[in-house]
Amino acid sequence: MADATVKEVPLNSVQVEALVVMKIVKACASTFPTTATGSIVGMDVNGTLQITNSFPFPAPDIAASDSHPNDHMAASNIAAAAPRSKANATYQNEMIKYLREVNVDANNVGWYTSANMGNFINTSLIENQYYYQKEINERTVALVHDVSRSSQGALSLRAFRLSPTFMAAYKESKFTTENMQKTKLTYKDILVELPIIVHNSHLLTSFLHQLPTPPAKTELDFPASLADLNKEAPQIPLYPNLDSLDLSIDPYLEKTADMLLDSIETHYTELNNFQYFQRQLAREQTKVTAWKTKRVAENAQRATQKQAPLPEDEWERLFKLPTEPSRLESMLNAKQVDQYSRQVDGFTASITGKMFAVKSNLLPDSQ
Amino acid sequence: MAAHTEPEDFLDSKDRQSRRPKTLNPIIPPTSKSSRSSSYSKGSKYGIMAVGTASFLHLGRPLAPAVIGVQPTTTPLNVIIQPQAVFSILDHAIRRDIRDTQSTRVIGALLGIRSEDGMEVEVRNCFAIPHTENEDQVEVDVEYQKNMLALQLKANPREILLGWYTTSLDLNSFSALIQNFFASPETGTFPHPAVHLTVSTEAGKEIDAKAYISAPVGVNAERAAESCLFIPVPYEIRYGESEKSGLELISGAKDSENRAAPVVSDIEGLERSVDQTVDLLERVADYVSNVLDEEREPSNALGQFLMNALSLAPKVEPQDIERDFNNHIQDVLVVSYLANTIRTQIDLSQRLATSTLTMGGSDALAVAGGEGGEKGEQRGGQRGGKRGGRGGGRGGGQQREPREPNE
Repeated sequence: MADATVKEVPLNSVQVEALVVMKIVKACASTFPTTATGSIVGMDVNGTLQITNSFPFPAPDIAASDSHPNDHMAASNIAAAAPRSKANATYQNEMIKYLREVNVDANNVGWYTSANMGNFINTSLIENQYYYQKEINERTVALVHDVSRSSQGALSLRAFRLSPTFMAAYKESKFTTENMQKTKLTYKDILVELPIIVHNSHLLTSFLHQLPTPPAKTELDFPASLADLNKEAPQIPLYPNLDSLDLSIDPYLEKTADMLLDSIETHYTELNNFQYFQRQLAREQTKVTAWKTKRVAENAQRATQKQAPLPEDEWERLFKLPTEPSRLESMLNAKQVDQYSRQVDGFTASITGKMFAVKSNLLPDSQ
Repeated sequence: MAAHTEPEDFLDSKDRQSRRPKTLNPIIPPTSKSSRSSSYSKGSKYGIMAVGTASFLHLGRPLAPAVIGVQPTTTPLNVIIQPQAVFSILDHAIRRDIRDTQSTRVIGALLGIRSEDGMEVEVRNCFAIPHTENEDQVEVDVEYQKNMLALQLKANPREILLGWYTTSLDLNSFSALIQNFFASPETGTFPHPAVHLTVSTEAGKEIDAKAYISAPVGVNAERAAESCLFIPVPYEIRYGESEKSGLELISGAKDSENRAAPVVSDIEGLERSVDQTVDLLERVADYVSNVLDEEREPSNALGQFLMNALSLAPKVEPQDIERDFNNHIQDVLVVSYLANTIRTQIDLSQRLATSTLTMGGSDALAVAGGEGGEKGEQRGGQRGGKRGGRGGGRGGGQQREPREPNE
């Protein structure tokens, strides 16, 4: 019964242990640019999903696949599909079984994946998350860690879930125009993003106060020489991260613009597909109408000749209307474009700030 | 790792050496007096900071003959620990099970990579092993260790077993027993030495850590299994460039009451960094003006350092700066503008593609004045498709533009 009441509260936030953050960052960075995936465990307390541990899925056997020039793409594909593969489900269960023995929360709450400049919205993400939400546990999340974005600024870790409407539509794989009008499903409703909070244990907090060694409380002696000063440079605290003042943001902007263009191309292809379908449909429908008028005329003629009328619904057998292409691809693409342009916005905001800072530094009196 | 040889340490090591034959098992070397001295070293491989430990002088020396066969190497070893391994150990310490064991410590295995010459090990990962400890016996779940190791290695094929950790600084005869298990040829790291990492996890105290390797001691055969000489080795906690942003976020929570911090956006992070920099600059300016007012003691070295820093500012003509600045800012804004235009176009296209029923219905009514529902819908559909097509076309037309500002 308690279970039932717990289920009532929808998941509204995700609380990630520092350990999980570090493990994910390490796993994703070590395989970059190949995609890395893994499983996360934890539990759900009053709508907050507490993620307390994680482990990576076995690395794809690259030797087994062809070793052609862009074999990291192939490896990426295998890794991206890993969370829903059978072998990994066994692996995951095995691992969780062992983790339970050492008092780790033995409850799978989702999976994580790495991304590169926000390119994570694809069918693979959807399929994995669908698999998790449907097969394993409804209350699961996908954590997405963006390696490239984290390297130039604040850590990019996001939690996503599939919305219930999307789950329903995906279950029946109905992505036709008609169905989407009915359910009012748009690309904005595919994923629900949950806010992430990072949480530290007491022990860890006490450890963090030593890392790096805190500055001396008392007044330091003056260094004897410049060399001395350089040799014993004080350690820069981890927080706030002064690396985000780095000025070379253009490459990131360029890369995002490139990927945005790729998305537009995809959008174009999807549109062409749809237009082709529509032309096809129109052509078939003209044929059907022609056939119907002919049949009506024929029947009228037969009626005058006192003959039994021919059935009027025979056209369903004679003509085959083309099936409508799935809207899923174009929806995902739209979501991806949305993501990219928001990313560009973010970059622009920080780069303008930095540029004005540089300018006023170099030309102090121009203000 | 720059090992400074301080006379004190040297004495220490000698002292240790001379004491060795007299001491019974297990042999716990005296801890270095200067253990919390602050000597830092730059991690050469990563080009990043590292948390250094005290200076070490490590002597490779012949030891008493081992009981059987080849004796494991006890050459100097440099231990590098990645933060996630420490985090994992601390997590395990919190989750310890105190029901059926008298010990307050937990143990686990260390995984990572060893450099080719075996002189350096990097602890990257670790996992917990259940064990129970009573007054006279210790039990380690060997089966669990074996299976977990296999599972871990499946996910990280490049990592190997390096040793083990425990969450108290004490070394006792059980430690020796477990150490021998981890260093043995069948189940451990032989012929390389097994690393033993002790991390103190007492609440309210500073977290201290020590790393050891072991060597056999000359005792009779019956006691050989439970005795060994622990030799302290230097260690560093090192983090890579990629982990920096993660650590930033985590340390952001260290001063907050509930030990939690939200994930922030880039711009907020930037704001904090700028604030911090402004703060630091103010402190420097304060110091300099105090020196000018002769209120504080001047320092030549600091002056030189500041001079060097100031001379890094490039000498460029103001007009050039103005021009470059304007060009660049316009480029950036154009990219942003175009990206948003594309987003709007795509949004529009999606809307038109799926909202045909209402649009198509009203259009059909208005234009065709009550044509068949099916036809109206189809028309609307086509219209939507076309509009979407044009949106895409325009988006495509802009394709070449965003590239230029970037290059």
